[in-house]
Amino acid sequence: MRRIYESDALERDDDAFTPRRREETPKPAAMRSVPGESLSRYLVPAWLAHRAIRVAVETPQSSYPTGTTVPVTVTLRNAFPFPVSVRTRTPRLWTWHVDGAPEASRVPESLPEEERVFTFDRGERKEFRRRWTGLFKVSETEWEPAEPGEYTLGAYVDVDDAAGKGLAAETTVRIEPE
Amino acid sequence: MTLLEVNDLTVSFYTEEGVVTAVDDLSYRIESGETFGVVGESGAGKSVTALSLMRLIEEPGRIESGEILFRGEDILKMSESEVRSVRGNEIAMIFQDAQTALNPVYSVGEQISEAIRHHLGYDDDAARDRTVQLLDRVGIPDAESRYGDYPHEFSGGMQQRAVIAMALSCDPALLIADEPTTALDVTTEAKILDQIQDLADEFDTAVQLITHDLGVVAKICERVMVMYAGRPVEKASVEDLYYDPKHPYTVGLMSSIPRIGDERDRLQTIPGTMPDLVDVPPGCAFHPRCPYAEECCARKRPPLVDPETGDASTAADDRAAACLEYTGDLENGLDFEVTVEGEDPLVEEEQDAR
Repeated sequence: MRRIYESDALERDDDAFTPRRREETPKPAAMRSVPGESLSRYLVPAWLAHRAIRVAVETPQSSYPTGTTVPVTVTLRNAFPFPVSVRTRTPRLWTWHVDGAPEASRVPESLPEEERVFTFDRGERKEFRRRWTGLFKVSETEWEPAEPGEYTLGAYVDVDDAAGKGLAAETTVRIEPE
Repeated sequence: MTLLEVNDLTVSFYTEEGVVTAVDDLSYRIESGETFGVVGESGAGKSVTALSLMRLIEEPGRIESGEILFRGEDILKMSESEVRSVRGNEIAMIFQDAQTALNPVYSVGEQISEAIRHHLGYDDDAARDRTVQLLDRVGIPDAESRYGDYPHEFSGGMQQRAVIAMALSCDPALLIADEPTTALDVTTEAKILDQIQDLADEFDTAVQLITHDLGVVAKICERVMVMYAGRPVEKASVEDLYYDPKHPYTVGLMSSIPRIGDERDRLQTIPGTMPDLVDVPPGCAFHPRCPYAEECCARKRPPLVDPETGDASTAADDRAAACLEYTGDLENGLDFEVTVEGEDPLVEEEQDAR
């Protein structure tokens, strides 16, 4: 079957918009992709993978009145042009915290001790949205409002010494009295 | 006799988005031969509960805690081979989407007889005979010749019936029906529900029926559990649930059912949507949508209690609701009223029976 690319129909005018001709000798399909994730897991050392990941935490405003919900955006980005994998110490790959309380909970956590691999495609940007309701969980069934003042909102990839490895970020937010 | 008892079951999924607690501290029980309904919106944790009973939760999910006692034995402590002997044999499941549940490269009859051969030790001919009987029993016309048909040669309703036949093939003591009629039209739905009910009566099978259709619950269930965001919010007998609902979520569900002859201009709905389970609201998970919510609802998670006495509920209790009204924390209380219009359906049923 004759394809439109092979006709002269597209050769008339504006060269800039003319589709490119098909390559005469296309690559075999199997060569087009390599198992980048698995390869990077074996070839990219952990220290390099840690340097690839950039963590950012943002809130739309720097202060909120008491009783309002604070939207939190956590962005994890692979700055490298190849896939990287980070080995985390628990199945929870990352988390956010308020003044060191994970997910604004002061109840001690019990997470399974099982390593997981957090993978990022080349240049991949993962964005997560959370809301801090201005409350701290103080027991399995109770929450308490945060006093007015300054609070640190942070996020980290769940590895040992995340801050030292550059896998954590923080921002501050002020809770104003009503 | 209690056939199944689930105590404090918690199931979490460790996803990239965050930790999703799909089932949180769930307790209930099912008696032999009874039909137990599990109701809730999509994402309430109904299907995850069912899969946990069969220990079919896969990565990244894990059963964090709790116990599932089937005839007194904890399924979560069984070895893989012990679970295999229970799964499909003593506890069988009718999956939500029959087309996906059936293997497209095996004939329907073969898939059913495989379970019979494996669990009951029948030889090929005996298993085939039993399969043909079962297909006939669930209303597949000309079952003998349809035995060798592949799933794509069956219609949606027939596929669902084939899955029901497969679930009933080993006379299970407990049948978990996970939205068995969601993909079907109403006439086929009515037939299949009748069949499940007849077959359950005939084989004295207990049924855990998962649905978001309250009409289906009213039709075939005896006791009901309403779930919201992975937690049970109300447990009651079907009469109590319809005539005397205790939780505002149940009331919202009831008022959102369209009725023939209803004079209202617009159908009453529950505002908002089910919360994202990675970011469940603090306190009562329903409070952002609840018209009666007060400040305390955001600060205290209501325990499941007996609505009359306020005492903590256990798996054995038939009537329970999780609202701060029943622990005395709500100042203004719940301001709803249930009116029953028309004839009492129970009286009607008795008249029909006569």
